[in-house]
Order: sequence, then structure tokens, then C-alpha cells
Amino acid sequence: MFWSKTRKALRARGVMGINQRNGDYILRYNKRSLYPLVDDKIQTKQMALDAGIRVPHMYGTIATEQGISTLHRVVEQHRDFVIKPAQGAGGDGIMVIADRFEDYFRSASGRIITTEELEHHISGIISGIYSLGGHRDQALIEYRVRSTELFNRISFEGVPDIRIIVLKGYPVAAMLRLPTRQSQGKANLHQGAIGVGLDLASGVTLDGTWHNLKIERHPDTANPVAGLTVPDWQECLELAARCYDLTGLGYLGVDLVMDHEHGPMMLELNARPGLNIQIAMDDGLLRRCQIIEKQLEALKDETRPVAERVAFAKQQFAVAGPVPAEEE
Amino acid sequence: MGSVKLQARLLAVFLLLLGGGSIAYQLLVQNVPLSQDEKDPVWVVDAQVSFSAKANKPVKVRMFVPPLGVGYTTLNESFISNNYGVNVNVEKGNRQVTWSSRRAEGNQYLYYRLMLTPRYADAPENDPGPQFRPAPTLDGPDKLAADALLEPIRQHSADVETFISETIKRVNELENDNVQLLLGSDVSPENRASVIDLLLAVAHIPAEPVHTLRLAESQEQQPELWLRSFNGKKWLYFNPLNGQQGLPEDRLVWWSGPGPLLNIEGGKSADVSFSVHENEMSALQLAQSLRLKDVSSFIDFSLYELPLPAQQLYRILVMIPVGVMLVLFIRSLIGMETLGTFTPVLIALAFRETQVVWGVLLFTSITAIGLSVRSYLEHLKLQLLPRLSVVLTFVVIAMALISLLGYKLGMGSGLSVALFPMVILTMVIERTSIVWEERGGTQSLKVALGTLVAAIFCHLLMVWQPLVYFVFTFPGVLLCLAAIMVLMGHYRGYRLTELLRFRAMVDGDKR
Repeated sequence: MFWSKTRKALRARGVMGINQRNGDYILRYNKRSLYPLVDDKIQTKQMALDAGIRVPHMYGTIATEQGISTLHRVVEQHRDFVIKPAQGAGGDGIMVIADRFEDYFRSASGRIITTEELEHHISGIISGIYSLGGHRDQALIEYRVRSTELFNRISFEGVPDIRIIVLKGYPVAAMLRLPTRQSQGKANLHQGAIGVGLDLASGVTLDGTWHNLKIERHPDTANPVAGLTVPDWQECLELAARCYDLTGLGYLGVDLVMDHEHGPMMLELNARPGLNIQIAMDDGLLRRCQIIEKQLEALKDETRPVAERVAFAKQQFAVAGPVPAEEE
Repeated sequence: MGSVKLQARLLAVFLLLLGGGSIAYQLLVQNVPLSQDEKDPVWVVDAQVSFSAKANKPVKVRMFVPPLGVGYTTLNESFISNNYGVNVNVEKGNRQVTWSSRRAEGNQYLYYRLMLTPRYADAPENDPGPQFRPAPTLDGPDKLAADALLEPIRQHSADVETFISETIKRVNELENDNVQLLLGSDVSPENRASVIDLLLAVAHIPAEPVHTLRLAESQEQQPELWLRSFNGKKWLYFNPLNGQQGLPEDRLVWWSGPGPLLNIEGGKSADVSFSVHENEMSALQLAQSLRLKDVSSFIDFSLYELPLPAQQLYRILVMIPVGVMLVLFIRSLIGMETLGTFTPVLIALAFRETQVVWGVLLFTSITAIGLSVRSYLEHLKLQLLPRLSVVLTFVVIAMALISLLGYKLGMGSGLSVALFPMVILTMVIERTSIVWEERGGTQSLKVALGTLVAAIFCHLLMVWQPLVYFVFTFPGVLLCLAAIMVLMGHYRGYRLTELLRFRAMVDGDKR
């Protein structure tokens, strides 16, 4: 039977399914009452600022229809900025303004946008078009992250970001998400971006995934995706690991961006991170989570400092296989 | 976590036992029919009494009728006669009907009709009988013959049971001189039975004749004579002609004792003829007709006790968990996406009123109209709430037009867009367009299609009559469903769609 064979093979590789993720990880480690912390980007940002975690600078928020008229004052000082819904999901409703002249704006993809269009977009955000469940929302206007040149060869417009899954403060999996022509500059896999696995030990890119397929080259630039090294990798991992202490959410997806000036920044947190990272890493999440859970059991749930957790993850999840512990 | 899992499993087992137990009780103890089409035989026994009345004399006819409620449930019993008073009295376990009339003339016919069914009957009760009786005094050749017969019988028997069958065997050896002496010239079954009875009496063994009727399609049946004796625990039945032991299943005891079936005063040349017919009746109808007669049946304390409109409602309501369960399977095991859990079930309910094919057409066309209005309004850059309101208004207009068109074209089903389907339809459009806004057109079409497919399957399952009957009659099924749902809450396996999704990870191994 094809089904049972696939099922067995997936089990053997420790691939996590949705039912398992929901039941054994999200339900178990993520307290429902903590969700608003990550579902509302303004709250997340505030919390991160208080904890000294680097985030894109917030220029302002707009919460009411009347407030829309204050837009020009908020963006006066900035040539480029990003407007996003505070409670948006999956990267929808994000508008990136790359430049402006007179009364017009230009989006990252080069489209000319009038002030009216921009205001209508904000009005849509406030009325809750992009929020989960259609609640009223706020529009968030913030610093536009500009990616390091490093990823230019393997991304198409937009800003690549790094998704790190963190279990109880231990990074377990990481991938680089690269926008494509199809994803229109967005780095979300379900919109057509590609995901490229990262070696947790070194930050070196592996092969990628695109629409649940395995790929080796970027579909738009045709350059191989493997072999690049993410700069400041240690810092990225530590940043992600700290987000657990910040929110208390045990199973967390941390999205980071690499700014060309400021280095890694935390963009947003996700309490229900997707499972496609497994295809990108070509490794099962369940297998990795169980290693961490075993370690937690051995430590009797004692909290370890960030550096130690990151070191453990790097040692366990190196692509070359677990690095033997150093002799003392 | 482990203890929670265990607790959930225990809860599931408890619910399953409770539900299964109630179903088993209803099936095994209350004899509730398993399916709606289950048919039960209903025996119609007719007894026709005919006699010619003597002129100017009061007439009194007494006839034995079967005791009620022994091994069979009586559905109906009637005494049909013209100008006769009817009176029934019970005497020593027998029932006797008395027809009486001041005067009657010529040929008279009296009818007795009994309708019986083996279902819902109590087990035949064991009224204890005597275990000892005094021996009658015999003298002369009779005594000698009896003793001569009894001697070998005693030797060849071990207990009452074998004694009786041995006696029957001996008495039926008609060439035996002693038997011939006792029987005289009369070898009729009645006389043989009385000789057997006599021999048993000499041995102090009580026995009584019983007269039985065979419940089989027949005309002009005559009661068959059996002997029975109480052995301290139960009645033993014997056929006095061949020693056969044990009353066959299809026998109905009409009366016991040596008395004649019919006793008539003021009439002559009386005759009784029996005819038996078999009818069929659905087990459910049977229970309902029993209920009308205040006979207790499984209907007590079941949903059938509700007034009919409420019953109709619950027939629909009890199927909702079944539908929800199906959606649960579709989502957790197969991994098809639907709009929420309840929406497919609600659409399925709406299909009840619109019929499936028409309902699917209606749903897709109106949803398509709604969504295209929506995308046009997006172009006008209207805000979310006003936009949705306009969409809903146009949905109502579209429905009204379709109904009108259907009516003009003479299609009745166009009018069946009742309030309920309409509310559900507008809700579906609203939710689909929210998905469209949040996750794009392809995704919303995928979800809408999933919802529609799930709704069709739910509908087919929820109107499947045998299942509706089963759930409605055995509400314990709902507890079993709840048990499965509890277990599903801890299901951690892959969804079918995930096997497809992660296929790349397995193919990688083969390379």
C-alpha cells in the first residue's frame, strides 16, 4: 500500500503532522492566554523593545478612520516605510513603500501608489480585512528593512527572512525564506516563496522547498540556493532563543530579518508555525523536538541560560550529525 | 500529559460502555427491532363456533380461550356474535368465554379472533403444579392390567421424566393385552391420554392434558392433545401418541385439563373449527399499536414517546452529531479543509429542504454571484462591513429572482429556498469572502469546494433512513459517537493530504 508505506517512512524520519503539532506541541506548550502577545505585532514589538531585542523601528500606528489623516505626519520624515496590519496573518496586507515623490509613493515592486490608495489600504486594515476572524485592527507603520546584498542572487525583490522554530527556548529548526516573482516580494511559503533549510550549527544554506517540492535552484534567478552562509548566525540563534523567555510560548516560530545596516532584527513571532520547514530542512521536526524534550527531562525542566541552550542545539542539530561533546 | 491521555481514554471507554450497554439492553432485553424494516409474524387465529339453537330456549355457549400473555403478546382479541352477551372468566389458569342469549333460532355462528406475536412477549411463566397426587382405587382386571404394565415401566425408568415417556411408549403398544384391556375398543388419542393419565395416577405422578394449536398457516385445524407434568422446576410436555417430549415452539396452549373445548346449553350439533393465518407487521408499528393498548413496550422512555412534531425534529437533531463526526474525520484524517466544523453540517441540513442536486446548484450559483459582486465592490474600494452588507443584499435579490423564475417555469423546488437555507447561504458567502480577503481566491475556492463536498457527504449520511432510525431508536449511539470524538482529540497520526504534502521527503530517500 502506497499510503501505509509513506506513513511508515515519514514516521521513521520523525516528520511532524498537523494533528501532532496541534495536539502535542501547540496545545501543550502554548498557553492560549499568551496568544495576543504574538498575534498583535504592536504588543510584540513593545515587549521586544523592553527586553532589548532589536526590532524594526516603529514610526507610528493608526487605529481609527480619523487617524488616517495623520498618515502624512507620521511618514513625513521617511522616504521609505512599511504599512502592515497589527494582527495580520501570513504576510497579507503588508504594503512596502520604497520611495516617494511629491504626493505619490512607489511600492517596492515599482508600482505608483496615490495617497488615496494608501489611505484606502489603511482603512481596510483598520476595518479588519486582514486580521484573523475579521476583528477591527490597527495599522502599523514602521522602518523598512533592507536586506543584505548577500541574498540578492537567490531572491526576487522583497526581503528574505529567517524562520527559526524554538522549543522551550532551544532552537530546533531554521530556514531562510526567499521571495519569488510569484510571491510578489512576500516571504510566505503558501504565497509561493521558497524555503531554504539552514544548518543550525553553521548557518549555511541547504537545499530548498517550493510548493511542497524539493528544489536546488531559485525558480526566478536559477542560482543554486545551497552553500551561502547567513552572517551573525550565533546572534540570530540567541535572539530567537530569547523570544521564548520573552513570551513564555514553548513552541514558537521566530521570524528574523537581516538588515544591511543593523544586522538581525526580530520581525514577528508565530504561535502556530507551519510545517513546511521540514521539507526545507529535509529533516523531521518531531525527531528534533523529541531530542530537546529528552534533554529537558534530563534537566528536570530547569531553565538554562540562552548561550547554553543555543550551544546544545548547535551541537545536536548540525547537518553533519551530532557533534561529539568536547572533552574537558 | 500521560495522565490526561489516560483520563481521556477512560472517559471514552466509559462513554462507549454506557452507550453500548444501553444499545445492548434495548436490543436484547427490550427486543427493539434493529432496523425499521424488521418484520414480525402476526398470527391471526380464528375460531368459528357453529351450532343449531333449540327453539325458544335460552342459549349458553362456553368455550375455552387461551390465557393471555404466555409466550406470546396479544395484539387484539375479539368476540364476534350477533345478539349474544359475552363474558370472560378465568378459572384454574384457563380462560373461558361465555356467550349467552335469551333466545336464538336456527344455525348460529359465533366467532373468536385472536392476534398474537412472539415479539415483546414475556417468557412463559412457570406456575408450579402439583408434584403428588393420590392414587385412584382400581379393582378387578383393571388393577391387574395396570400393575402388570407399571412393573416393567418402573424398571425401565429413572425419574419422573423417563417414567412418563416409558408409560406413553407402553400404552401406544396397542397389541399389548393389558393395554387393550384398559383402552377397551376406543383407541382415540383422548382415550389413550386418559389411560396414560390413569397409569401415572396409580404411580402418584400428577399429569394433566393440555390442548394446543399449531401456529401455522392452516384451515380446519383441530387442537392437538398433549400431556404435561410439573417436575418441581418446570412443566414437561409429552405427546401422548409418540412419546415426543417438549412442546414445539409454534404451539399455543389453548386450555388445560380434561374438560371439553365447547360446552353448550340450548343448542345441538355444535362444532368448532380453527383457522390460522400469518400476517406481517413491521416491528415498529407493532410496538406503536401495543402502546395504544397500554401494553408496556420499548416505547416507554424512548424518543418515540414525544409528540410527533417533536419526534420529527429530533430525527433531524440526533443526526447532527453523526454529521459533525463525518466532518471531523474529513478534517483530521483526510485533511480536507472546510469552513469551520459546523458549516458543512448546516449546509447539509439546508439540503434537506432544497434536495441535493438543486441545493448544490443553488449554493454554487448564488455563492458565485455573491463573490463576483464582492470582487466588483472591492474595485470600488468600499470598506469591509458595507461591502459585506451589499453582498448579502444582492444574495437575497438573487434568491428572490431564482424563486420567481422557478415558479414561472413551473418548478416547485425554486420556491423551497426557505428561511433556513437562506440564512446559511448568506453565512457561507460571508465566511468565504473573508477567507478570500485573508488568504486569496484559490484558497477560498479550495475551502468552499471542500465545504461543499463535506456537506454533500454529510447530507447523504444524515438522510440515510436506516441510520436515522438506528440513531433515533438507540440514542446510546450518541454516547458512542462522543467516545470516538474524545479519542479523536488525541489522534496524532498524519492526515492523508500530509502524506502527499511531505512525499518529497520520502522520495528523497530513494534517490
